[in-house]
Amino acid sequence: MSYADKALRMSAFAVLLSLAGGFGLSADLGSLIKSVFPVPSTTGNERLLALKIREGLPEGVTIEEDGLGGFAVLVGRGGPRTMILAPLDGYGYFVSGFDVEGYLRLDRPVPPPHARFDAYLMGQPVVISTAAGPLSAVVSQPSLHLLTQERRRTLVEGFSLDDAYVDIGARSEKEARARGVEMLDAVTFMPDLTELAGRRWAGTSLGSKTCCAVLAALVEASRRGGLRGETVFVWAAQTKFPVRGRGPRVSLGALRAKNKWLPGRTIILEPAGAEGGAEGPALGSGPILCQAKDAGTPFREEIERAAAARRIPLQAGPASGSPLLTPFAGQAAETAVAAVPVEFLDTPSEIIHLGDAEALLELLTVFLLSGGGR
Amino acid sequence: MKRAMTWTILLMLCLAAGGAAAEKPAAWDILRKIVLVPGVSGHEGPVSDLIRKSLPPGLRVQQDDMHNVWFTAGSGKPHILFVAHMDELGWTVGAVTAEGRAKLKGSGGVLPQTCEGRPVIIYTARGPVPGVVAPRPGYDLRRPSGETPPAYTAEDFEVVLGVSTEAEARSLGVTEGVPVTIKKTIVDLAPGIMAARAVDDRAGCAALLDVAARIDWGKLEGRTVTFAWDVQEETGLFGASALAGVLKPDYVFAVDTFVSTDSPLESKRFGDMIIGGGAVLRAVDSSNVTPRYDLRRVGEIARKRGIPVQAGNSRGGNDGSVFVVGGAVDIPLAWPGAYAHSFIEKIDRRDLRALSDLIAALVADWPPGGPLRPALSARD
Repeated sequence: MSYADKALRMSAFAVLLSLAGGFGLSADLGSLIKSVFPVPSTTGNERLLALKIREGLPEGVTIEEDGLGGFAVLVGRGGPRTMILAPLDGYGYFVSGFDVEGYLRLDRPVPPPHARFDAYLMGQPVVISTAAGPLSAVVSQPSLHLLTQERRRTLVEGFSLDDAYVDIGARSEKEARARGVEMLDAVTFMPDLTELAGRRWAGTSLGSKTCCAVLAALVEASRRGGLRGETVFVWAAQTKFPVRGRGPRVSLGALRAKNKWLPGRTIILEPAGAEGGAEGPALGSGPILCQAKDAGTPFREEIERAAAARRIPLQAGPASGSPLLTPFAGQAAETAVAAVPVEFLDTPSEIIHLGDAEALLELLTVFLLSGGGR
Repeated sequence: MKRAMTWTILLMLCLAAGGAAAEKPAAWDILRKIVLVPGVSGHEGPVSDLIRKSLPPGLRVQQDDMHNVWFTAGSGKPHILFVAHMDELGWTVGAVTAEGRAKLKGSGGVLPQTCEGRPVIIYTARGPVPGVVAPRPGYDLRRPSGETPPAYTAEDFEVVLGVSTEAEARSLGVTEGVPVTIKKTIVDLAPGIMAARAVDDRAGCAALLDVAARIDWGKLEGRTVTFAWDVQEETGLFGASALAGVLKPDYVFAVDTFVSTDSPLESKRFGDMIIGGGAVLRAVDSSNVTPRYDLRRVGEIARKRGIPVQAGNSRGGNDGSVFVVGGAVDIPLAWPGAYAHSFIEKIDRRDLRALSDLIAALVADWPPGGPLRPALSARD
């Protein structure tokens, strides 16, 4: 690696670090979200985000790992355990090959969330997370001047991973490898947080990063006292990877967490689509509460009572088919999803309302500190 | 905010220039600053002002109502014009919806599919307002196998601002006619290789600014030289057409992108000029065929000065073509660029340096006389 290359990488690393910043106990939720937002995390490549979150946790907390890349903070003692789980992984890619001309090829560890997801890569800046630090790159696209109508239809509208070539400015495989790129390095969209009007923020994988930040803030809040029984705060890895077998899709990361920490009650934090239609959930109206079945349960009513007591806005979501819920099917009445509403879910610019994230944090804090975990 | 940004960039340029009198900012450094300044076709005010104010003192700089900027030095024949366009692709706000979104107007000149879910900046009179282009409706729906998805064009673009009513959107300053660009960032791919929106043709603008600062214009003899930065190239060479009404050059060197096929998704049948291989003589494009005699003259000047130059053909028009009917010979000079008209236009610093050096060499060495050739030979 040349001196100039090192300097370039250091400057890219410095930019990412400055974007990430640090977060401490006194950080507000917005700062927490900003600190975890730029840290890449894809299924099987969650290490950087896990490290970032662990760095910001209070000293002396009890941390356990699940061996897959996930970890948990255990607070309190006794009673049936309450587990609050947030996924660490977002959708993304990894380096799956080197072209002879120095371009990188891509694959993904899990199926895309929808058919157009891979097409968002075309002509966009990305970041490769190498062992030596982040490397800036772009995904190739055809020049507009040279595009025929036929290629517009096939290549552009039908863009797939077969058409995705990652350009790092190298001219050979040797040169690409000399830049520090290795097979399986994570490739994600370049993080670029856009602060819109009305306390709305937009960015790639912002929904799941917000859930991770809410959970980190919840650990801090729970240490202020008043927590009864034991609560396990889990950042689960590989949640988008499905367990092989028949039947409904089961999240490997969630199942692993359930089997390791054996919770009595579970609340799953995840992003949920909120496109603001006539009947669906909307941004700015509070977190979305749902369970595997539509019918009310005492557990759900407990959470709703906590929200009502503090006038925390809460939206009722439809029955959830989330693979994160499936492992808990046997205790469906004791499991709920508390979701962050996200507009344009699974696009390069997921939009959240900061007020929804704050409401979710307040709701869970009230719920846990009022003994709701019991 | 817009004015503040312009002044900040100006200040940085001035500091860079003043910090070391002998060390003028090279084209690459100028490019990295000027590429981020907004200048959608028809709305080039900020970048036009920046160019005008960045020129060395002592030149008789002119700026017309369209925001074209130029200066002329020297006297006599030939009259040589170098012109680069300062405008960039983008949109304007066409309407504000009842839901507080901005509908965009214009094709944008880029692939609409690359805009879905992307951040943009709306340049209002009250300052820049960030937004996000809403992805196409039903983007995440499963479609039956074989069903063709509906066409997606720039006319479908709606920019989400974070507000939910028209009144709120207008209170941000968003109104019909204000320009919109993608949120621009510079991606450093490798040492001396970058990708960004609007490298086409801020690279050409930077090369001219660099050379303008290098030359002692008072000592120019035996020729008239004009450097021009024009507007509205992307929408139909309108700025150049206006300049053609006031400037009557013998030779015009349009300085612009060479749409290179040095990228993985293109046919190599033509346009395969290497990125990093030097400046390009854009011999044949969609608007002009340069006489080979003149190409050879340029090549010979470059060879004598050791400047790496490639020659080839590609697509797209150039500003010099509008001067041809008035009697000029159009000899387009270029930097080879991949991913033209995208958010990731790619350029190599060595090519920009070669382009600047070639322009400087042509100012000094272009032979006297008009466009008539001394004698035709079979090679011409």
